[in-house]
Amino acid sequence: MTARAPRNGIGFVAVLGIAATVLLAAFVALPFVALLLRVSPAQMAARLGEPVVLDALRLSLVTSGAATAIVVLLGTPVAWLLATREFPGKRVLEVLLDLPMVLPPTVAGFALLMAFGRMGLAGQALGAFGVTLPFTTVGVIVAQVFMAVPFFVGPARAGFSTVDGKLLDAAATLRASETFTFFRVALPLAAPALLAGAAMSGARALGEFGATITFAGNLPGSTQTMPLAVYVALQSDLDTAVLLSVLLIVMAFVLLLGLRSAPRGWLWNRDRART
Amino acid sequence: MRFNYGGSQALAMRSAQGAKGDVFASADERWMQEAATRGLLAGDATTFARNRLVVIVPRTNPGRIRSLKDLARRGLKIVLGADAVPVGRYSRIALRQLGADPALGPDYAARVLANVVSEEETVKAVVGKVQLGEADAGIVYASDVTPAVARFVRAIEIPAGANVIATYPIAVLRGSAQPEDARAFVALVTSPEGQRVLAKWKFLPADAQH
Repeated sequence: MTARAPRNGIGFVAVLGIAATVLLAAFVALPFVALLLRVSPAQMAARLGEPVVLDALRLSLVTSGAATAIVVLLGTPVAWLLATREFPGKRVLEVLLDLPMVLPPTVAGFALLMAFGRMGLAGQALGAFGVTLPFTTVGVIVAQVFMAVPFFVGPARAGFSTVDGKLLDAAATLRASETFTFFRVALPLAAPALLAGAAMSGARALGEFGATITFAGNLPGSTQTMPLAVYVALQSDLDTAVLLSVLLIVMAFVLLLGLRSAPRGWLWNRDRART
Repeated sequence: MRFNYGGSQALAMRSAQGAKGDVFASADERWMQEAATRGLLAGDATTFARNRLVVIVPRTNPGRIRSLKDLARRGLKIVLGADAVPVGRYSRIALRQLGADPALGPDYAARVLANVVSEEETVKAVVGKVQLGEADAGIVYASDVTPAVARFVRAIEIPAGANVIATYPIAVLRGSAQPEDARAFVALVTSPEGQRVLAKWKFLPADAQH
């Protein structure tokens, strides 16, 4: 077997690929289309100024922005460590950081209460310093960080792992410190992966519902983010619920598309890092 | 038999959007009415139970709440059901009615509501937050204080005059695939046997007077 099938031909696998793509894309797109068809732009505009919508929008932007920043700032060094070092308990640590992904969000919320609630394991100590998290905006951010961590650390770690080891070795032979190598070589090269991870974790934080309502509660203006407002509205006012959902979808779409199509060399100059 | 639990409002909305079911039991006449208006019911709804509201506080009582009057003290953390959830609506009505008591004062409801830190989407979420001691108090149905819950919370009764008695209607859904069995289930729930089971769980009988 020396000849390879041409990649641009229409073989069985290509047909299968196209069929599966159409099917999957339609399956995922249809619920979004159904939501979008439900409201006219005029209806949207009319309800956009409602306090409940504006409060939720502002709160969602602030909390998910803060949560994403925290996840990226803390997650990046962790991902670097996981990608470049071997140490005892590494596998366990990796699994631990993935765990929030499998936990049903409401269960995660209860677990957060039992840990950081005012009667919780760590919460009692926090209370001694006058810090209470449940029923506060900071509590919302805590819930979002907990749920969003795996969506950043995984991709970031993978991104650092694909950085060519020879480049890092070269930097080391040139007597570059690890700090220098990290910021000037590894970070620029892994930037696309880090951005993708940031986008995923940001989207997860933006859409977070179960852990938030269980841990932080639901009060307009202080803890009622957009997903919570959608859920509450769903029970009494379908139009507002749909409007909020559409806003949420548009925000997530822009976020994911924007960070994914960030131009090469944006944020860090990759080409300079290569030379 | 398969049960699909949820807030009455959510169940009514789901049925309206085409979710299949044989019987719809609601914790609020309003959502049964909504289901009837949307033509989801086969026949009329009947009352199968009634329920009263109680205030619950954690047994550790972090807010040092001993009476209804204490609920109006500033700085407490109170959780209620959201306004769209029956228990939340009833709680607000009961608080307003309690204001008629001179000992509590006409601004009682406003002062208690100013202490609300969360509007929960189900009554069970109210129970959970009080049970864990995160909230100082909450208002739930008497039937929510099950033996398991009572280990962690203490109930403070709301006088009958100001209390709101929730009426629970049940009805066979028009879309039922087995209407015979559905009607038999409704008959069982409303029978003396069914009522005995409900009474054991602190529901008031279907024919209870206010």
